[in-house]
Amino acid sequence: MFSLRNQVALITGASRGLGRALAVEFAKQGAQLVINSRAQSTNDLRETEALVRALNAPVLSVIADVSQRADVERLAGEALARFGRVDILVNNASALGPTPMPFLADTPIEEFETVLRTNVTGPFMLTRALIGQMLVRGSGSIVNVSSDAGVEGYPTWGAYGVSKAALDHLTRVWAAEVQGTGVRVNSVDPGDMDTVMKRASEPDGDASQWAKPETVTQVFVYLASNESSAINGKRFQAQNFALA
Amino acid sequence: MLNFQVEPRVAPPSVAPVQFVLPPELEAHQPAELRGMRRDAVRLMVLPRWNSEPIHTRFDALGDFLRAGDLLVVNDSRTLPGLLRARDENDEAVEVRLAHRRADDLWDVLLLNGRTHIGRAGMRLRFAKGLRAQILARRPDLPFLWRMKFDTCCAELLDLIYQIGEPVRYTYVADALPLDLYQTVYAKAPGSVEMPSAGRPLTWELLLKLKRQGIGFASLSLHTGLSSTRDDSIDKIHPNYDEEFSVPAETARAVNETRERGGRVVAVGTTVVRALETASRADGTVTDSRGWTKLRIHPDTRLRVVDGLLTGLHEPQASHLDMLSAFVEPKRLQAAYQQCIARGYLWHEFGDMNLII
Repeated sequence: MFSLRNQVALITGASRGLGRALAVEFAKQGAQLVINSRAQSTNDLRETEALVRALNAPVLSVIADVSQRADVERLAGEALARFGRVDILVNNASALGPTPMPFLADTPIEEFETVLRTNVTGPFMLTRALIGQMLVRGSGSIVNVSSDAGVEGYPTWGAYGVSKAALDHLTRVWAAEVQGTGVRVNSVDPGDMDTVMKRASEPDGDASQWAKPETVTQVFVYLASNESSAINGKRFQAQNFALA
Repeated sequence: MLNFQVEPRVAPPSVAPVQFVLPPELEAHQPAELRGMRRDAVRLMVLPRWNSEPIHTRFDALGDFLRAGDLLVVNDSRTLPGLLRARDENDEAVEVRLAHRRADDLWDVLLLNGRTHIGRAGMRLRFAKGLRAQILARRPDLPFLWRMKFDTCCAELLDLIYQIGEPVRYTYVADALPLDLYQTVYAKAPGSVEMPSAGRPLTWELLLKLKRQGIGFASLSLHTGLSSTRDDSIDKIHPNYDEEFSVPAETARAVNETRERGGRVVAVGTTVVRALETASRADGTVTDSRGWTKLRIHPDTRLRVVDGLLTGLHEPQASHLDMLSAFVEPKRLQAAYQQCIARGYLWHEFGDMNLII
């Protein structure tokens, strides 16, 4: 695995699922961590914090809703106050919208807007708040968590799929704008995983066919590490990821 | 790394101060973005330090007035929401303006009821979200400031300040604005109670263009205090605040190398002048350092390090005008400011800009 020693990583949506798995794996690789979730998931976030502390990783937990402008500034400010810098940002927090998931024609406008605000505007705002201090240093890695629903048009995955397609394009434009600066922006589609969100989206799905979040972390560690310093603007599929 | 507690280096000014009347319509009430323009599209007056007439242009033309080998030094301190609303023991409203963080749970603060200074030792304050604090004593050297101890500290206190505070603002800004509008695009760790506003018009598009032009970029931190006590009689005497600063080794190195090569060091903001000149030796070299500075720069000050200054337009009687007069003769500064007034430049933290070089 790749070393993240002395790197400061901020992971949103780290209370459970992929976010928790990434926090634990990053801690194992030597990272210092800022982990975040919304207030509803405070207890789960404390559990993630305990797992990370057990690995002797310095950690700061911040309860914040990334869809809220003031919360994003608070999250960025507290992370920078604690560690002085953020080297790695993983925009993992994500909203699915109402479940069971409705057709677009049946999706309430407010729900559509909420999903886009969390999944697109949130990563935009947090990246905007943190990328400046990366550009000053001439290094930094931003990883956006995408989905195949952003590529394929699955029925009932409308708001979520649109948001992930937009997030992929946000990744491409950020990457083009910071090309050559030492900062890089990439996205990862983790594939089907056995998470609370996945079970909510597909209550009749066969969870035994879904990957455990802990098994898809390798590509994230790679993108966070200096090993990938030349990789910018790419989209990875975690479950197909293998190093040559 | 040197640790500083710097006292004023020079005597008070011996030349007439810059004086003018600022028409109220020239106060910027909003950031450029809320006025329908880009941050870097505000106006820029370029004032040569020696002899030539001012040039009036747009801020995004900044690169036309810098040369390959010059170095821009910015203040990367992030702005905190330094205005907190509280209640005292009698349930009276108290406006608390954070001024300087002295320790994890200890701040120097201004206590106001409207524009009236209030406060007493032992006063207990209640804020939203269960936060409490006690007023300990006046600062002996700056008696309008009180030392206040919060009942919590560290990350928890910072989180509460973020949740209950709003950005410090003055009467020309009518409503509380989102805190992110008070940040520069390169802001790092929070600590300033007022935005280091000279860097606000810098965008990454412009900074990366300047980099391609061969212009260097370096940062330091100086956590700004309050620019006004809300009492004109106090503000008029320009109280000399101490401010916490840090000049990292790589910035000291970049400054020294720039000067050795014959490039110019351009400070983005008066805070950067204060920090760099504090961290300088008599021979003009800068050393990495951190501490508190009370350095006061007057028209008579011989600047050791900084060649140029990018700054906003300052109010009449502002102490910053003393500093500007160390770069350019007060008479020429006054004439240039009159041109800005005639051309409708906007003042204050969201206003137009001035490059003195």
